[in-house]
Amino acid sequence: MADVKQENKQQLSGEVVQVVSFKLATEEYGVDISQVQEIIRMVEITHVPRAPRFMEGVINLRGQLIPIIDLRTRFGMPRIDASKSTRIIVTDIGSKRVGIVVDSVSEVLNLPIENIEDAPEMIAGVGTEYIQGVGKMAERLIIMLDLTMVISGEEKQQLEQIGDQAAVGV
Amino acid sequence: MSDELFNREEFISYFRDEAEELLQQIDADLLRLEEGVNSGETDPEIINSLFRALHTVKGSSGMLGFVEVQGLAHKLENLCDLLRKDRMPLSESAVDILFTGRDLLTGLVQSAIGEEEAPHGVAEYIDKLDKYTSIYEETSHVIEGRTGQEHSFEEAAAHEEQASDADVAAFEAEVERLLAQAQAASAAAPIEPTPVPVFEEPVAAAPEGFIKELPPEPVETIKPELPKPVAAATPAPVAPKPAANGDQRRSSIHQTIRVDIERLDALLNLVGELVINRTRISDIANTLERLMNDKSGAAAGGAAQGIIAPLAKDLADSAALLARTTNEIQESIMKVRMVPIGQVFDRFPRLVRDVAKARGKEVQLVISGAETDLDKTIVDEVGEPLMHLLRNNVDHGIEAPDERERLGKARVGTISLNAYHEGNQIIIEVADDGGGINLEKVRARGLKQGLISSDDRLSDREIVDLIFTPGFSTAEVVSDVSGRGVGMDVVKRNITRLKGVFDVETVSGQGTRFTIKLPLTLAIIQALLVRVVDELYAIPLDSVIESQRVEMTDVRTVHGNEVITLRGQVVPLVRIAEFFELGGQRDPDKVMIVIVGLQGRQVGLVVDSFEGEQEIVIKPLSDVVGRIPGISGATILGNGSISLIIDVHSLVSDAHVSGKVARAEFSGV
Repeated sequence: MADVKQENKQQLSGEVVQVVSFKLATEEYGVDISQVQEIIRMVEITHVPRAPRFMEGVINLRGQLIPIIDLRTRFGMPRIDASKSTRIIVTDIGSKRVGIVVDSVSEVLNLPIENIEDAPEMIAGVGTEYIQGVGKMAERLIIMLDLTMVISGEEKQQLEQIGDQAAVGV
Repeated sequence: MSDELFNREEFISYFRDEAEELLQQIDADLLRLEEGVNSGETDPEIINSLFRALHTVKGSSGMLGFVEVQGLAHKLENLCDLLRKDRMPLSESAVDILFTGRDLLTGLVQSAIGEEEAPHGVAEYIDKLDKYTSIYEETSHVIEGRTGQEHSFEEAAAHEEQASDADVAAFEAEVERLLAQAQAASAAAPIEPTPVPVFEEPVAAAPEGFIKELPPEPVETIKPELPKPVAAATPAPVAPKPAANGDQRRSSIHQTIRVDIERLDALLNLVGELVINRTRISDIANTLERLMNDKSGAAAGGAAQGIIAPLAKDLADSAALLARTTNEIQESIMKVRMVPIGQVFDRFPRLVRDVAKARGKEVQLVISGAETDLDKTIVDEVGEPLMHLLRNNVDHGIEAPDERERLGKARVGTISLNAYHEGNQIIIEVADDGGGINLEKVRARGLKQGLISSDDRLSDREIVDLIFTPGFSTAEVVSDVSGRGVGMDVVKRNITRLKGVFDVETVSGQGTRFTIKLPLTLAIIQALLVRVVDELYAIPLDSVIESQRVEMTDVRTVHGNEVITLRGQVVPLVRIAEFFELGGQRDPDKVMIVIVGLQGRQVGLVVDSFEGEQEIVIKPLSDVVGRIPGISGATILGNGSISLIIDVHSLVSDAHVSGKVARAEFSGV
């Protein structure tokens, strides 16, 4: 497990990592900017009945349908209604474009790589492989996430398989 | 040719497309050639065209190091060369050999690009081919012109012993001649790519002294002699269709480019977005105009109105123009997705020929309407059902030549394949002038297979319908062509899946006509929008029978399942809100019902309200969220919101599988 973390950390590019920071409840999170396709304002999410459970619904992004994952639900936090600051971070997981709902997006930070520490043992464990480490910046603690790991292996498999089942195009 | 010079994957993809096209053309040429052999009049241009196609396949495969493809293409090219130089007479056996070679070549191409297993019998074939050609290479020294006797493969095999030495000598001479010619040609003008063997290693299956005798000159050594390293020596995939190639066939074809369908879809998405924004701009323009005309507000506006009024008018004009252009763009892109159905028809002459030959029939296939356009996705799917139909026509429809003669018909049976537009549908007809469907035979077989009972009184139409029952076959002997009992039911199912309609007309002794009606596109449909709880759902209009409001007093239950009686028929109800677990409350007084039907079975979908009809663009949802029971796709509405499309097919079969109807009927409601 520790090796995986080490590897993840090394994947972060260069001496300084550019990090998009966002908030969930009172916690601040960050993702490597290379994982972010774009950030959009909250739009209406169409609920898809009987869709895989980790999926909130779909949105229309310039004519393309994109599945949405609510990070609060994902992390077991209480749900809140969307506000003016709610954002969707659009990212690619495997070969799929996925939108991730967060409370708000703060800024793009230049985080020196030596300021990122491995996640403390307490929070690192099974089911938290998506935490790459904790970045320190002045008084702030930024939880570094690997968005591609945010959904579990099984779910990712499910997501990957989804395109393969596509029928005749209808 | 190092790998850094080109993107190999891209080349392979190009190679695949090109090879497919060329193999198709080889097929067409061979068919024409065969026709020529039968009628005794051959156009030498056909052999030249064959030769060029094989040569291009050889060159491209050589570039990519597909030595097996290259090897076989080379051998076939040799055969064509003998033919075009009149050193070998054009005979039926020669054409047959070429046909077999073409099929093996197809197999090798597919195995080279990793799509299929390598075909069997390539080595044996090449061996035979060598012996066959060697006869003529040998005799050509003695006999000039078109006097060479025909030889069959079997003779060639018997000839084996003597073939070796003289064979090699003849070939060496030929190779030297070719090389000299090639160099002369490339020095003069690199126009017609004369065969320059580009072997880097001997082909495994090649006989002794065949290829090893060639100077193993890599392409590079030839190139510097050319004025420019053009495609003459190596038909390079970089310049796929160079003008200098002098290829007459291509010049007669429209200029086309290949585009990945995904790129088109992306474009279509963007246009959809444009349409939505156009609507918004029009709305803004309308609002502004209304404000301007509002006299009560004018007093407050005062001076500003003088400036804003003309602007508002400009905006309105602009919006109108934008609307027109957007519509045209949308239409054009939809048209781009359309391809001529000829793409599918092209492979049928060969199929009919092969089946006819195997079954000892004489058949001509008459194709018309090959230029009729329809959606690419449908074109891709319609090929297989048509193939089954044609096989059936040859196998079961057309009588044997002697039989036909006895009946006073032409020995050669005719199958016509015709496509045309009718409204927003395409009609494809497959008709033969054979014996028609033997209703007695079908009935007897139906009895034997237990599909009907002897006291069933069936109309002719009902008997014909039996052939669409899974497992049904009238063929006495199961042939390798058709009659395995997997045919007509699959055909019908495939057509239904494409939202098509399938019809048969048959006249005893005169023939059978299958008619297929397909929508032009699967991408746009008419839909009825309904509201359920707080979401809008779309129901494809082609499956909607009617929609109505029904009082709860008219809803009865059968074993806990809600049903209504509609014109004497018991129709089970499916509450969409509950089916999709959307929550919401049941209305205690009434239900809003959309009656949908599929193949005679009906289900009433309970919704909250009807929201009108609309033309919608279907987007597959399955590659976004997986296949969802009851949902067949999604669409984006004019205001940008998403509406899910209800899969009537799965809802209807679901309701019926759960036995609602069976139970309802049993209890005599």
